[in-house]
Amino acid sequence: MWSGAETRVDGKPRADGEARSAEKPRFVLIAGHVVWSALRRLAVLAVLLGVVFAAVELLPGDAASSTSERGESAADLAARRTALGLDRPLAERFWDWMTALPTGDLGTSARGEPVTRLLAGPFPNTLLLGGLALAVSLAGALALGSWAALRPGGRTDRGIAVVATMAFALPEFVVAIALLLVLSLRLGWLPAVTLIGSDGAPASWSMLLLPLLALAVPQIGWNTRIVRAALADQAALPHVSAAIIDGLPRHRILTHHLLPGALPAIAVGVATSAGMLLGGAVVVETLFNYPGVGAVLAGAIADRDTPVVAGVVAATGGAISVVLLLADLVRARTVGVRL
Amino acid sequence: MTTAFPHRSPDQRELHGALDQIASGRSRRRRALRAAPALALVLLALAGPLLAPHPIDRPLVAPFAAPDATAMLGGDLLGRDVLSRFLAGGGPLVLNALAIAALVTAAAALLGVLAALRPGLGRWVERTADLAILVPAVLGIMLIALAWQDGGRLAVAAAAIVLGIPYATRVVAAAATPVATAGYIETAAASGERLWYLIVREVLPNLRATLLALFGLRFVEAVYVVSVAAFLQLGPQPPTADWALMIRENSPGIMLNPLAVAAPALAIGVLALSVNLAADALIPRTGTTTEVPL
Repeated sequence: MWSGAETRVDGKPRADGEARSAEKPRFVLIAGHVVWSALRRLAVLAVLLGVVFAAVELLPGDAASSTSERGESAADLAARRTALGLDRPLAERFWDWMTALPTGDLGTSARGEPVTRLLAGPFPNTLLLGGLALAVSLAGALALGSWAALRPGGRTDRGIAVVATMAFALPEFVVAIALLLVLSLRLGWLPAVTLIGSDGAPASWSMLLLPLLALAVPQIGWNTRIVRAALADQAALPHVSAAIIDGLPRHRILTHHLLPGALPAIAVGVATSAGMLLGGAVVVETLFNYPGVGAVLAGAIADRDTPVVAGVVAATGGAISVVLLLADLVRARTVGVRL
Repeated sequence: MTTAFPHRSPDQRELHGALDQIASGRSRRRRALRAAPALALVLLALAGPLLAPHPIDRPLVAPFAAPDATAMLGGDLLGRDVLSRFLAGGGPLVLNALAIAALVTAAAALLGVLAALRPGLGRWVERTADLAILVPAVLGIMLIALAWQDGGRLAVAAAAIVLGIPYATRVVAAAATPVATAGYIETAAASGERLWYLIVREVLPNLRATLLALFGLRFVEAVYVVSVAAFLQLGPQPPTADWALMIRENSPGIMLNPLAVAAPALAIGVLALSVNLAADALIPRTGTTTEVPL
């Protein structure tokens, strides 16, 4: 920071080798850190997939019997079991599935359809809903948290804290019913169910709004508390008191002195939201008849369809891992890397 | 947390306690006041079945009939009395959530202190909690509830307990670490006290505030998990009266009789809010904030 101020004073780029060599290892350090945490996230994901694979296997019944037609004989069933590869050991099937994963092949479902094609329609829909909800909850939480932090201890601050705590306690489907009753039935502003167009996506953007709000409201509550707490931690630091004594405008203190330091904590909080959002999406999708992975997952578990369940977990787990990785990155950038 | 350190002399402890009592007499009354709505609602939910005016399993009016004198909240999808089912549908949900919260807190208390006393185990707790964050709760419930098809509420409770323990253990371990490294624990360990004794008699009594707060938060979480599972039809099965299940069953008729959905949704919402209010009141406040107004 000191040397940065110096360069600005001479108006010349830094030329001395020392500063540059100090800069490069830092960049390399961060890159190494990112690669390392990506590998760690991948390893955790692989362990998780193994656990899910084994769990589906331990369920009573298997894919051959739960997808069988009425009147199929025991011999037919055995033939199907062989065709689906269910007679091979679990470890072998898991290994085959895992090694095919990097090539984008998620295996074949018990009904003989490639899992990739099965998820191609619903997964982007869920990702769109979840991603939008994450963005809305981040924006809402930053606005509310900052608003509260500008008036610490005041009526606004306490009010926002209470409302945020309350919002997070509500299950998504209760929020959804409340929104449905008010916005659709009483005011008639938004459609109550999702109609699906010919391409398998929701027919209009207004059908996305209710599920989006139902998902975002509890997460806004959660993230507002995190933003508020992170800002309070920053406000206790000496450089912030110095800025206040210097008489800087409040919004400048917020954007230049409080928020940068609070960023890592906020990023981690938002990343935790990602997991809760994708879980909540299953419920909200059911209520609004939204074409996402929720229905695919429920059907696959009932069919004991291991590759489909594992595929859904791999896809959602991958999405959550990416968000967690971004949070790692923000942390590494802000507080530096400790090795 | 500042009180009840056994190495203080009894006089000091007494003085400290008295000062605490003077300072917190008012706040304690306020805390009790904040816990009152949750207590009242829990009692009401448990007494509900006794107040139901009609049988909960027989049609009384037309399906999705509007409210009238016989059925004050109208009829559900089979024409059963919504009010009676509403009164009967809260007790099991509340009891289930209470049991989950109590079991998770108890297990996490023992495991968390153990993890603080044995750091090797503590690292494993960290890793398991990391893994559990990646599993959306809904997926875990689906897996366990479907593996144990006749399990109903028990299966959901098992899922909620298994999924809740890693994170709760991490919270307890974090609170127990400073206590576990205190001198009096080392003295007790060096004088040959058994591990069980160390956990239950030496460390846990110092974590009362943390455990109480944890129980409140786990109750909030359990209400969420139990109601979401019932909504997905994984726990209690259809003829049962259950608030979350009523929402799922009656939502197709929301245009005809909105009350059949609104009443149970409101009940779950108010339950979640009041329990949350009580849990918040249980969280120990550590000192005052020193935030400067901008």
